[in-house]
Amino acid sequence: MLTSGVKKVIHRGRMAFLQAGGGVFRMLFVGMFLLSMVAHDVPARAAENDHSALVNCDIQHTSCTQELSDTQVVLDISPKPVKAMTDLTFRIILTGKQPKAVPYIDLGMPGMKMGPNRVSLQSVGNGVYEGTGIIVRCPSGKKVWKATVAVPNMGTAEFIFDVIY
Amino acid sequence: MSSIETLYIAFFTTGFFVGFGHCMGMCGPIVVSFSLNLRAKGVMAPNLLYHAGRITTYAVLGGVMGASGAFTRITAGIGGLQKGVMIFTGLMIIAMGLGMSGWVPLGRIFSDYCSFEGVIRRGFRKLSGIHSTAAYLPLGMLLGLLPCGPVYTALVAAARAGMEIQNSFKAVLAGMGLMAAFGIGTVPALLMVARLTGMGWLRSRDMIYKIGSVLMIAVGIYFVVKGIRF
Repeated sequence: MLTSGVKKVIHRGRMAFLQAGGGVFRMLFVGMFLLSMVAHDVPARAAENDHSALVNCDIQHTSCTQELSDTQVVLDISPKPVKAMTDLTFRIILTGKQPKAVPYIDLGMPGMKMGPNRVSLQSVGNGVYEGTGIIVRCPSGKKVWKATVAVPNMGTAEFIFDVIY
Repeated sequence: MSSIETLYIAFFTTGFFVGFGHCMGMCGPIVVSFSLNLRAKGVMAPNLLYHAGRITTYAVLGGVMGASGAFTRITAGIGGLQKGVMIFTGLMIIAMGLGMSGWVPLGRIFSDYCSFEGVIRRGFRKLSGIHSTAAYLPLGMLLGLLPCGPVYTALVAAARAGMEIQNSFKAVLAGMGLMAAFGIGTVPALLMVARLTGMGWLRSRDMIYKIGSVLMIAVGIYFVVKGIRF
């Protein structure tokens, strides 16, 4: 009898605890999501600043160069200014050791998943590769984009630059 | 497995991971606002209808992209509409927040003092009181037009896939199927958000609703501002 009463009390206490715990968790969850949107601009600005610090390529004005083991990788995008949501031509010039397969470019944003956006390139001779692609617009307002040039069997070169929306 | 079947899997997988990595942060607040607005009602059926509507819009856009392969021209064409949808979404969330708080009897104020009272009152009541489950399907279809980076990326890929298919009808179907697969992939993450924010357990806690209302109004203002700046 006593045992059953104690069990009931324990059960009720446990349920109350779980309910309260779940409630707090859900409250935190709701608050976190709603605030994440409202406060998005603040961290977005901070992140934007952080990502701006990563920029290593002034693609709006010139081509950019990086060294990849024994190969020099030059990236150029046209037409300039480089705008999002427009058809763009990507050009890669490789000097030095040449790859056995055609390189390609993956477009993305530092710190934000935008889905796979690959630019397929074709050789136009003399280590020059060209392809067309589109840099999409992120409604968050972030404008720092990354082009990862993958050169088969040699590695990748990351070009981080600002895009105009 | 054919290349198009591989693409379906790729689009679904992309949607799934983007759902958890991107949509939860960017679109999560919309889903949370709906769940708050639904209060004690079940959140699953309205959310499923909302996602069905959203996926329908993605599929239609995918079909157009598949047929035309003209991503930039089409997105430029619907840019103004997307801006409008973003502002509408913000206004809807603000109205839902105000309606939920019960602080400002906007419907009565407008009905008493505005000459075009009827329209505003009915509009406000409709926006703030979307409690009907069926309403979430057209709402999802409309909000499927919200500007979104990963959706754009998927549309670019759908347009490319369509260009590689010679038969126009098959290109349309491929575009539709690929975008539907992408949309379905995003559902688990957003359903999880909706499930966790189901507010039936808060039925009697008005203070929580009031706090939620303030946050919803802030989210709505954010959308309106972003929409104006888009």
